[in-house]
Amino acid sequence: MRAGTRLRGATVLAAAAVVAVSGCSTRAPESSGGGGGGAEAEDVTTDVGVEGTTISLGVLTDLTGVFAALGQDITNGNTLYWDENQVCDTYDVELVVQDTGYVPQTGVQLYSAMEPDVLAMQQTIGSPINTALAPEFESDVMTNFSSAWARTLTEIPGTGVLGATYDVELANGYQYLFDQGLLADGDTVGHIYFEGEYGENGLAGSEAVAEARGLTVIPAQIKSTDQDMSAQVTQFAAEGVDAIVLTTAPTQTASAAAVAQASGLDVPILGSNPVFAPGLLQGPSAQWLKDHLYVASPITSWDTQPELLEAYQAAYPNTTPSLGVVFGYAMGDVMNQVLDAACESGDLTREGVQTAFGELSDIDTGGLLVPIEAFETGVSPSTQSFILRPADVPGGAELVQDAFEGELSADLAG
Amino acid sequence: MNQFLSLLLNGISLGAIYALIALGFVIIFKASEVVSFTHGSLLLLGAYSIARLSDSIGFLPAVLVGLLVTALAALLVERLIINRLRGAPVISLAIVTIGVDIILLTELIRRIGPDILNVPHPWGGDSVRIGGVGISENRLIAMGVAGVLIVAFFVAFKYSSWGVAMRASAEDGEAAALMGIRQGRVSALAWIVAGVLAGVAALFLVGAPTPGVSAAAYTVALRAFPAAILGGLDSTGGALVGGLLIGITEAMAAGYQEQLSFLGRGFGEVAPYVVMIIVLLVRPSGLFGTKELTRV
Repeated sequence: MRAGTRLRGATVLAAAAVVAVSGCSTRAPESSGGGGGGAEAEDVTTDVGVEGTTISLGVLTDLTGVFAALGQDITNGNTLYWDENQVCDTYDVELVVQDTGYVPQTGVQLYSAMEPDVLAMQQTIGSPINTALAPEFESDVMTNFSSAWARTLTEIPGTGVLGATYDVELANGYQYLFDQGLLADGDTVGHIYFEGEYGENGLAGSEAVAEARGLTVIPAQIKSTDQDMSAQVTQFAAEGVDAIVLTTAPTQTASAAAVAQASGLDVPILGSNPVFAPGLLQGPSAQWLKDHLYVASPITSWDTQPELLEAYQAAYPNTTPSLGVVFGYAMGDVMNQVLDAACESGDLTREGVQTAFGELSDIDTGGLLVPIEAFETGVSPSTQSFILRPADVPGGAELVQDAFEGELSADLAG
Repeated sequence: MNQFLSLLLNGISLGAIYALIALGFVIIFKASEVVSFTHGSLLLLGAYSIARLSDSIGFLPAVLVGLLVTALAALLVERLIINRLRGAPVISLAIVTIGVDIILLTELIRRIGPDILNVPHPWGGDSVRIGGVGISENRLIAMGVAGVLIVAFFVAFKYSSWGVAMRASAEDGEAAALMGIRQGRVSALAWIVAGVLAGVAALFLVGAPTPGVSAAAYTVALRAFPAAILGGLDSTGGALVGGLLIGITEAMAAGYQEQLSFLGRGFGEVAPYVVMIIVLLVRPSGLFGTKELTRV
């Protein structure tokens, strides 16, 4: 498992020497000198969220709302990462965790309360809350990582989307189906998608591919609370679709599979990354899903990360290892790369962190996430996706295609 | 034609489950004049209990315990809260049930975790074909069980002493009390019956074609609200008709979404409410509800 160590080697000597003589953390944006002679040039300037050798990062997650389970897993991943790692081999990171309950108003209030104490936001869950906080993030020069992949989130300055946006992700998924001979030019696909940014962005991917490859897309919009996909899949069967595409949650995947299986609709299902959960493999359509489901994802599967799995199970026994944990851990890694770069530049202020964030490129998380090119406004940070399939392995999914870029991805990425 | 018949059959089977939930709303309303918003979390509690216990004690015992748990939870709400607030404004009671619902729901969501919990129905995801139209065995059994339960309820409502007592209480609570009817007992029993009906609905709701217990199961109970209201909130027959009407409307609107796209995407979601509003505009007390008479 990678631990954000690459930059560390280069910075350790300089930073350690400076920290040793100066304490390194000063509240005001001023250099701390003294005792080190020529050490001033290597001093690390700080302003908010750094006390002594402790950096505070904010976590606005959902521990009691509709995404409580996912929020808990991502936060566990964040915590596990920072329990094992430091910034510049010097600073410990303390997470200030607050529960928004997935309510934007609550998120805004909690952010106002934690903002004076944190250097950056390790995690803000949910497109609506990220969007609601966008003006504050901008005015506070707050670097932030979201746990969603909607295109709109890339428009928020300082907010990092960790992987391809949903449209690019699905375009990669389509590419895999074409490459495997599971779909051909001119075919018909039925796309079930959530209303809102997530679903709309996924549908945009389908429409772009449809235009390029002459597909016919039958869209079916649903709400996140809809459970029964009978009507939609029945409609798809009547239209003779060659594949079903889902930009939904696992509940809808279970239903779509059950209905497709019952009606003898023997076509592949392609899903955006949130469509999968390990529990799908305990349901009545488990085998059918193993035979038919393909998930395009920015997050790798647990079977490629045995050391992380071992560490997670030791730290959190009796929990199900979901992809949320891998993602949370990878978020910590990317944040560490940003903070290491800022520390190396001698500027751990918010401005310094955001500058480092903007300059970061070719981000490698040791295979936890797809390679991320850079964080540019309005541009998908990556053009690549993994392809996962359900299997009887920890986490319930195995990697069948390493990170790759589809033909349309670069154009779609912006 | 097959698509239409398939949607109709699925709509009826979904409607049968809605009818069970709506019947619970109606029974509680008639017995204690409370519009209960706790049904969503009671339903989820039943599904969660059955899913959690199935592995250790087997499917059938888990179902029985699950029904017992929902009945007991409903009884506790009635005894500890509703009964003690007797005489409070109806709106206050309704809001209290929202509070109870939120507390129970939050805890259940926390317990369900990131996963989809599965109930190992013996019939699994199997389906049958009736005249070229496929339907899951789960939904077919649901229709049968719902039919039996609803008939049994109507018989009990009409002929049992509890049914007579409940009808008398609903008609004129004060007069019923003077005649020796213990309203507290009538109300408690009504909540128990509604809890069991929610538990039965939960058992089938978490099977094919919507396998797995997730927080989304909660929202199904809310869909049964328009069913109860358009049928007439104080009419048991209305709950049945309302449930079927909403189920069929929802399935048709979702299945013919493409043809209805001029009304906007996602029309299936709002269709039940559109039907409810149209019915209420024509019949303000619902299809079978008692008309309010005001003498001047």
